[in-house]
Amino acid sequence: MPPTAALKKVFNTKSLKKGRPSQSRVDEGDDLEEWKKSKQLLRPKDQLELTEPELKDIIARQLGTNDPLIPQNLIQFNHAQGAFELIPPTGPMIVVYETQGTQIHKESEEAKKQVEDQGLDPSILEITDSAETIKPDELQNIPEETPGDEETQEEESEKPEVDSEMTEEDTEKETEVGEGEGEGEGEGEGEGDIEGEGGRAEDEEEKHHHGGKPKKLTNQFNFCERAALTYNNPVRVQDTQTTPPPMGTFSANVLQWVIYDAYQEDYAAQQLEKELERERKEKEKAPVSRHQAMTRKLVGKAQLSEAVQGRVLECWKVLERMVNQNTFDDIAKDYRYWEDPSDEFRDEEGTLLPLWKFTYDKTRKNTVTDIEWNPHYYDLFAVCFGFLDFMKPLDEGAVCLFTLKNPSFPEYICMTDSAVMCVDTHPKYPYMVVIGLYDGSVNVYNVQATCKQPAFRSNNVTNKHRGIVWEVKWAPDLPDGEMNFYSVSEDGKINNWVLMQNDLAVTTIITLFLAKDEVFGPDGTKLKMKGCASCVKFHPKQPLIYLVGTEEGNIYKCSTAYSSMFLLTYPAHHMPVYRIDFNRYNSDIFISCSGDWRIKIWEDNRLEPLFVFDVGACVGDVKWAPYSSTVFAAVTNEGKVYVFDLNVNKYKPICVQAIVSKKRNKLTRITFNPIQPIIIVGDDKGCISTLKLSPNLRIPCKAPKKQQHLDQWTLQCMKLDKLLSLVREPATLDIPEDTAESIES
Amino acid sequence: MSNEVEETMKRIQSHKGVVGTIVVNSEGIPIKTTLDNTTTVQYAGLISSLADKARSVVRDLDPSNDLTFLRIRSKKHEIMVAPDKEFILIVVQSPTD
Repeated sequence: MPPTAALKKVFNTKSLKKGRPSQSRVDEGDDLEEWKKSKQLLRPKDQLELTEPELKDIIARQLGTNDPLIPQNLIQFNHAQGAFELIPPTGPMIVVYETQGTQIHKESEEAKKQVEDQGLDPSILEITDSAETIKPDELQNIPEETPGDEETQEEESEKPEVDSEMTEEDTEKETEVGEGEGEGEGEGEGEGDIEGEGGRAEDEEEKHHHGGKPKKLTNQFNFCERAALTYNNPVRVQDTQTTPPPMGTFSANVLQWVIYDAYQEDYAAQQLEKELERERKEKEKAPVSRHQAMTRKLVGKAQLSEAVQGRVLECWKVLERMVNQNTFDDIAKDYRYWEDPSDEFRDEEGTLLPLWKFTYDKTRKNTVTDIEWNPHYYDLFAVCFGFLDFMKPLDEGAVCLFTLKNPSFPEYICMTDSAVMCVDTHPKYPYMVVIGLYDGSVNVYNVQATCKQPAFRSNNVTNKHRGIVWEVKWAPDLPDGEMNFYSVSEDGKINNWVLMQNDLAVTTIITLFLAKDEVFGPDGTKLKMKGCASCVKFHPKQPLIYLVGTEEGNIYKCSTAYSSMFLLTYPAHHMPVYRIDFNRYNSDIFISCSGDWRIKIWEDNRLEPLFVFDVGACVGDVKWAPYSSTVFAAVTNEGKVYVFDLNVNKYKPICVQAIVSKKRNKLTRITFNPIQPIIIVGDDKGCISTLKLSPNLRIPCKAPKKQQHLDQWTLQCMKLDKLLSLVREPATLDIPEDTAESIES
Repeated sequence: MSNEVEETMKRIQSHKGVVGTIVVNSEGIPIKTTLDNTTTVQYAGLISSLADKARSVVRDLDPSNDLTFLRIRSKKHEIMVAPDKEFILIVVQSPTD
């Protein structure tokens, strides 16, 4: 390049030199001149200033053979030798286009080698050459190749040079090729290419016969593919439009509990699947009629709606309780929180605060014959509706389970066709309720299942008492788990009933024969007089021992092991014994009440009572308090509740309160709540009153200073023992008689 | 069973201060009511969404727990709601004093 650069420079300078005078000559606004003028300013500073003679001096020029464009002294680095070496000059040739042919010269080394590869002697090549027969053969072979060649060339038509060079050759070839192809196709299109190929193969064979002439020698590095261009199938666009599928918007929140529910459902489905699988296996083992499965399915659906109904009912019950809670808001608060403040100023005496009253419309005429707290739920109690005034008998009775949470309506109602006289709830299964009826039969209800009909019922003709059932009592379960209960009746019998699969099995434990001579009956028969049992109480610690109170006024101490004799007979009262109750803290102490206006406290194996209280009216019921060893409460026919605390006052009750009007109502039954400081009393108008005991009625024991560690139970026992030690002396026994008169006054 | 349900509903309706009772199904449509139409529809719609939300709160705190009861105390009334998966029971009571 340096030479050209130099040349240009020279030219430039010359033009510049020429430009200057021309500018002076032509001054008109010629664009070119203008442009040149602007260029003129770029004259280098160090430009040689020539004098006039120097400028006029003619420089002679010579034309030589040396091409200044050819580079000389080219070198390149040889890595093998590790030195620069000279490259021979390239000469004046310039390659403009280069392409590879498909033919090679037959005398070249490559051609010879190909001939050798074909298994021919290269010498043949020379012979044939001399014979000059090769040409037509070679040309005949071409058809195999030429179509491909044509195409490639057509494709390469962008290169005009290729065409110009090749077309001449091709046209030559094609003239002869046309014949070859004409042969092949001429045989018929139906037979197709196979035929054509066959023909060609024959040709080739012919060639070989002709003198073992070699095939065309191809350039082994330059293959051409043979292909055919067919008509393209025309592209057709076909559309159909369908109605769009229905769409909807779905939105949901995924919360933790949704996921939890989904997993639970999935788990349940899996369990069901397993269950079905198992059933299927079982069915395979023992084929059962399909009918059964069908019925089961139907039952399942019915059960579902039943379950929903049950839930609806439960929700309504909750709502009813809430409505009641709002209605009786003040009472509920009193029940929980109100402690009579006036108790502080009244030493020793207390009061009863009336709370809710429970009634049921259908049993307003009935007398409350028994009430009992549920052993499991502190707020639930069972009430028996019967009658005690035997001048006005009633046909119907009921046992109702009330809860404190719903004072307006009973939780469970079991209607009976005879007056209900007594009830007991199973301590282990709080839904099993046994009742004794006026007609002498006993019924067992499973209130959880249904209240409409009893689960067990004694036979009305053969299996029943011949008198009013005055008390029923669940007994501890038999060794093989069967439930059983005792019933006490007017007919002087104490029966034990066992709940079998379908019916009640009965055994008479004892018949209370009186210790009197036989009485002559009509027609010369002799009758042994029987006592009429009116109440029973089982010993809390010795399951065999029990006490029976009778209408004759005696209390018999019996054992279930002996059916014909009494362990002891207490000549307790002069009128029917209505209730016996064991002390919660000392099971040797029991209390009894009677129609002879008296309440008596007894010690086991002592025929004389420890305390006697006369309250001036028929005492319907008496109960020991669960929270204190010395407190008990009683109700009378005059509608009064008496609460005694022997520790506070041995002679007088600490609370006497009229609950119902003296003229119209009588109180019949009383019972302490086992947990809460409340008592419930029943009257003869089918009404149950709830009363809260004021603080003075339930003073807890204070531990002496030296014995702070003792718990309430021991303290209560000690309190009672201390009291008993005072009254056990026979000399003190006549005192209660005096107090009775004082109360009356 | 359905008989008992009827009876309980009647009993609640006869209680002191009870303004009305509404039974709503799972879709928020009132099935039974003792109130007038517009009030019922309004109560059913609003309470069912509130009950759903309340249940969601309870269950989100502990998925094994569930909402059993809801009472809304306002100046004029108390609205008691017993929600279930398949129904909602609503009782409106005005305080007696």
